[in-house]
Amino acid sequence: MRASRWALLVLVLLVAGVAGVAYGTLRLTPLEVLQGALGTGTSMHIAVVRELRLPRVLLAALVGAGLGASGAALQGATRNALAEPYLLGVSGGAAVGAVIAVALHATAPLVPLAGFAGALGAVALSLIVARAAGGQGDARVVLMAGVVVGAFANAAIMVALAGVDANAVRGALWWMMGSAADATWPQVRALALHVAIGVAALLVLARAIDLLALGEDTAAGMGVNVGRVTLAVYVAGALLAAGTVAAAGLVGFVGLLVPHLVRMAGARTHRTIIAAAALGGAALVVVADLIARVAHPPAELPLGAVTAILGVPFFLSRLRRLA
Amino acid sequence: MRSAPSLARFILVASSASSLALGTSCREHDADPRGGLRDDFGDAVSIAASPRRIVSLNPTTTELLYAIGAGARLVGRTSYDLYPPQAREVPDLGPGLRPNVEAVLAAQPDLVILYASEDNRDAARRLRAAGVRTVAYRVDRIADFARVTRALGALTGDTAAARVTVDTVQATLARVRAGTATLPHPTAFWILWERPLLAVGGGSFLNELLRAAGARNVYDSLPDPSPAVSFEDLLRRDPDVVLASPPTRARLLADPRWRALRAVREGRVLVFDTTIVNGPSARVGASAESLARLLHPSEVH
Repeated sequence: MRASRWALLVLVLLVAGVAGVAYGTLRLTPLEVLQGALGTGTSMHIAVVRELRLPRVLLAALVGAGLGASGAALQGATRNALAEPYLLGVSGGAAVGAVIAVALHATAPLVPLAGFAGALGAVALSLIVARAAGGQGDARVVLMAGVVVGAFANAAIMVALAGVDANAVRGALWWMMGSAADATWPQVRALALHVAIGVAALLVLARAIDLLALGEDTAAGMGVNVGRVTLAVYVAGALLAAGTVAAAGLVGFVGLLVPHLVRMAGARTHRTIIAAAALGGAALVVVADLIARVAHPPAELPLGAVTAILGVPFFLSRLRRLA
Repeated sequence: MRSAPSLARFILVASSASSLALGTSCREHDADPRGGLRDDFGDAVSIAASPRRIVSLNPTTTELLYAIGAGARLVGRTSYDLYPPQAREVPDLGPGLRPNVEAVLAAQPDLVILYASEDNRDAARRLRAAGVRTVAYRVDRIADFARVTRALGALTGDTAAARVTVDTVQATLARVRAGTATLPHPTAFWILWERPLLAVGGGSFLNELLRAAGARNVYDSLPDPSPAVSFEDLLRRDPDVVLASPPTRARLLADPRWRALRAVREGRVLVFDTTIVNGPSARVGASAESLARLLHPSEVH
């Protein structure tokens, strides 16, 4: 990918980030935003900029980066254009955990933790199912296992929601549709660490993913331990996705779409694809979060719905090129 | 807040206003031109025989039945009918929306009272087909309280008890309204749920309660009873007070984000437990009174 493209990607992310801090339902002048950020404004402006907008812009960026990188690595390792971060039952498992927590009237910080635990459980289950079927290294078997675990999770959600009151159902659905509205600094710090480790791990694996993309036999012939590398990419990609789910719920389409976009922009090696997808995913989710906040006041749109609405037209145009 | 009205003036104003208050609320559309009663599905209601086994699948009608002295005849309720405490002894038949018709029939009721939601039309049809007298009422607004209480009185054969219940609540509401009418009305935000942030909206009886108690809901103009709102929008509306349940209040005060709201910074997060008020039941008058005391501690006693 050319340097000008990298510069454009970074610029888009920066502009989106600044816009995300500057705009919201509450109209602030640029001076008020600056004073809020510097801590010299009124206590309300400081709170709005520092406690509401900055953490949520950063959280949205981290969620997008994690999903973009995870999707890029998983598409490469499975050699499947439809692979995405929620592949191994991550979304279903996370939703089961979160819904059970909501149904049990768990308070705020427990719900994302339960979602994370559910996602880990689903990933483990998918890999165990795939291994039992004799194909932990076989992309098709792993994909099938993820689909089956996801379907089971959906059924479990319906059962868990059958007896809870209306507000709890709304809470659960809202969580499943994704939102960065409740971002806090501790959450941002935890996710930053999680995403940094996850993306670094995938970048380390990037060279092996390049070889895997040539086909398993070729990769094995070039000294790649196919089974081990594939498993490592699945685990790293799924853990990365699970962390983003714990922070902001399910944000669909980012991990599917962004890797395609960066490949269209000329990224060839997986080191480039993963890094560019992280930047692009961050920009996309920051923009989507801004739209979610300002499009329909006083309510907020679900973040996952906005990313899908932005993503589907792009993806359709991409499909046309494939056909 | 300026000078408090004297107690004498308070009582005088209250008694003169009581005859006006709620006058418009008693919509008489439950009277059928042919002389019978109709429920909120528009279906004719027979009051021929006094029921002995009642299933009430709405926490508010369950409460109203106890209020008019018909609670002992209940043989079924929903999982959410927990007030008064005796209601917990009544068999739990599950949800009030799309109820389990077989479970209702198994309780062998001679009267079933449903919530008049489109979700329940099918259940009403099936129960009637099984030969069980079934009525459906919407009890969402304060006006519904008087109307449905009278209808339940007619159905259970105790119109006098129903009248006393309605008159008592209306007198209390009128007294509260009169007492707060001349007071300055603070703007209020009533939080129902944190994630997503749900507020009491204009369509809720709690909004009417707020108005009676002498406050203006910042989300009065939203027709939804419990609209989802964004935190920044709430900051923009900048309410004078926040009403919250006890655990919610504790969480708001501990969360640095909520410091952005002036009412929180200035310590005006009042505790009012919505979970103890199902709907506009016989407790609606007392609720308005305690809310008025909470909002105007020095003026309303």
